[in-house]
Amino acid sequence: MARVSFLAIPLALAAAAAAGGQQVTPRASTPLPGAPDVDYALTNVRIVTAPGKVIERGTVVTHDGRIAAVGATVNIPANVVRLDLAGHTVYPGLIDAATSTGLPSPTRAPAAANADAAAGRGGGRGGRGAAPPGGGRASIPTAGRSSTPLPPVIEPEVDAAAEAADQFSPTDDELRAFRAGGVTTVGLVFNGGLFPGRVGAALTGARGGSRLGLKSSVGQEVFFGTKRNAYPSVGIGAVAFIRQAYLDAEYENRVDKALKAGNPAARPSNDPFRRALMPAAANEMASWFVASKERELTRVAEISKEMTIKAPVVVGAQEGWRSIPTLKAANATAVVSLEWPALDSVTGHNFLLYGVGRSGKLTPAEEAAGNSEIKANAAALVKAGVPVALASFGGTSGATFRERIKSSIDAGMSADDALRAVTVTPATILGISALVGTIDVGKLANFVVVSGNDLFATGNPIKHVFVEGRLY
Amino acid sequence: MRILNYAGIALALAAPAALAAQDIAIKNATIATITNGDIQNGTIVIQKGKITAVGANVQIPAGMKTIDGTGKFVMPGIIDAHSHAALEGGINENSESVTPEVQVQLKNDDPVIYRALAGGVIAANQLHGSANTIGGQSRVIKFKWGMPVDSMYFKGAYRIVKFALGENVTRASSDAGIDDRRFPMSRMGVDFLLHYWFDKAKDYDKEWQDYRAEVKKNPNALMPRRDLRLEALVDILHGDLKVHAHSYRGDEILMLIRAADDEGFKINTFQHALEAYKVADEIKAHGATVSTFADMWAYKAEAWDAIPFNMALLTERGVLVSVNSDSDERIRRLYQEAGVGVRYGNMPVNEALKMITLNPAKQLGVDKWVGSLEVGKDGDIAIFNSHPFSPTAMVEYTIIEGKVYFDRNDAVTLRKSVANTGPGGAK
Repeated sequence: MARVSFLAIPLALAAAAAAGGQQVTPRASTPLPGAPDVDYALTNVRIVTAPGKVIERGTVVTHDGRIAAVGATVNIPANVVRLDLAGHTVYPGLIDAATSTGLPSPTRAPAAANADAAAGRGGGRGGRGAAPPGGGRASIPTAGRSSTPLPPVIEPEVDAAAEAADQFSPTDDELRAFRAGGVTTVGLVFNGGLFPGRVGAALTGARGGSRLGLKSSVGQEVFFGTKRNAYPSVGIGAVAFIRQAYLDAEYENRVDKALKAGNPAARPSNDPFRRALMPAAANEMASWFVASKERELTRVAEISKEMTIKAPVVVGAQEGWRSIPTLKAANATAVVSLEWPALDSVTGHNFLLYGVGRSGKLTPAEEAAGNSEIKANAAALVKAGVPVALASFGGTSGATFRERIKSSIDAGMSADDALRAVTVTPATILGISALVGTIDVGKLANFVVVSGNDLFATGNPIKHVFVEGRLY
Repeated sequence: MRILNYAGIALALAAPAALAAQDIAIKNATIATITNGDIQNGTIVIQKGKITAVGANVQIPAGMKTIDGTGKFVMPGIIDAHSHAALEGGINENSESVTPEVQVQLKNDDPVIYRALAGGVIAANQLHGSANTIGGQSRVIKFKWGMPVDSMYFKGAYRIVKFALGENVTRASSDAGIDDRRFPMSRMGVDFLLHYWFDKAKDYDKEWQDYRAEVKKNPNALMPRRDLRLEALVDILHGDLKVHAHSYRGDEILMLIRAADDEGFKINTFQHALEAYKVADEIKAHGATVSTFADMWAYKAEAWDAIPFNMALLTERGVLVSVNSDSDERIRRLYQEAGVGVRYGNMPVNEALKMITLNPAKQLGVDKWVGSLEVGKDGDIAIFNSHPFSPTAMVEYTIIEGKVYFDRNDAVTLRKSVANTGPGGAK
């Protein structure tokens, strides 16, 4: 039992007792949960190792935060905490493919904010700014032109090399909320700006001994935002700005190449913004566009085509079902936000109201049909063969996220497809599939355990969550 | 004829598949072909979205959906050379004054499109605003309401860029403090900016020409940086991007003609141009056209010296003229605006109709497909209950490429919806 820290015992005990499982010899008590050096054996448990792959009764053993063994019959080392989980199912920890929880806001203050408030933001990115107007919607904001002179503002909107994984600084409550929904890994996407930084991935374990940042430079984020009193000040300008930024980075790639080839005319720029976009312009780093409405997705496809962006990722894609041919033609991956758009904001809502003799009212049946279409978005995309990862972007992760996954299943997504969209697919697009996404030896011990055999069953409480081998 | 109705419900919120172009015929109608006179008791046949027959003695293929046009008046679908309907993301990138790289972004389910259809309009030039010396690139679209954005683009239309002169650019009526305004604040400044930027564009053009020559000798030559702004200006110099210039006064029209002659580019169309009648010969000599208002003026100082005879006088002088809306309200009744040309200046009726059909089609580079009713052109028509210049005229059907996009029989209570957003459906 050398490796079993006394710190972990009360927790393990409690867990074991809760699971009705084996007893572990108690040691001294400790206040700290999830001690860093306890290994676990989850025994007599149904194991969903990956979507569609089930071991009806088996064991998972962790060691140093990783999965040491998994199978129907596994030799359990003597020095592990055993959790008898008969009647339970263990799944790979869920991945919320895009959230901005815990990230600073890259946008300017809302339009209502006065000049003092803007000045008070200091370095712009430093503080946890207010959410941008309009929440997570990616609709292009239209800037009003204020007549109040504003102080000069640092341009956090184009801090293109900022790493979300480095900037991830959630509160303990926010981390707990992730885990409460079985979310053990998150994709990090800024909510605002223009080129607000780079997408990253992080774990959701508690602070103190546990790392958060898992991967940086996953993708270059592109957000159709604006600047205050500077170019681009409106959405139409943002599109032009984004196109030019890719061209500039492409030019820098040419210059670097020419320089290497000994061309004396090649003069690399030292503009950090331009240089930051070079990998994305060369398709060495994925471009992640935040876009939700049908016409926004068309814009992404048009920009991708013009700038030869080979496989764009779209975050949001709330109207993805209306844009399936567009997304397929662009070879796009959809990180689908499960934050449902309001029915009256959905493109095409007007079609029902105009020309058919209404006075602005939908029938209850139409309203129900419209809302179920919104919820069937992910299902429709999967059915059409668009790669889909699910995300809480623009909304709330954790328990709400799990409920929304269930809604997507109810709306026609198979449970396996849903599980894939919160495990294997996001792991792949976040570039962390060697670490997370399935229960395989060598990967991080990120699990979610529920009683019974359905992770997404309504009202089925989550029994345990493991993040990197720590039990929560 | 409940096509739109069914289409609306079937589309609902689902992904709109491009509906197949339809076959449709109209018989027993008065048909204004625009290019070949009016036909009484005429028939027009549209197959696969294109006009396949138009005339007095035309056989309608068996089984084709047919509208009885008895007492009705058929004309080419109306074209608006100046509209800001269906745009989002702003219309002015007003942080700078020369932004030809900016492109309008469309909002494909804007109700204004539907209201325009109710006025017989089938296509429009969606332009930037007039805050900038060069505002950006517009988009000619067909009003295929509800279809995906990219299926509304009018393929083959001119690429058009919006210029602006005068008070909107200089913010003459702005009460903002001097610190919150930007260069240029005078007409002199606008003139200077045009020369400044086109000189830069010529340098940029030369840089690329040098590169293209160099790369033939040296395949390792470094390709220059692409600059979307300068590239657009070079396209203007080469005639690939057509200039539509917001203007009012005769003197500023002459200023722009001189600047263009100086820098070596052409103005395609003067927009508004309320004083164009003063400089008709100069406009004609430059090869430019005019898209104007019928009888709206005096809403600011530079719009003071307008007359309702502008359209007729310009036409007499051989300048191609269209009448436009520039308004989500007037776009519903452009046919009345055209009728003003008959009342003031005795324009021949067909010439007046041209101002909302063939003439704007030419200004937008789409006259190969629309603007008149001829075999081979798109099946884009408006069907009125009487002559469109009658005070009681109403559009009954608006058809684009053979598909009915507006049918008044199914839209009577539409007015209730419109009423919700105020007169003219102001946004």
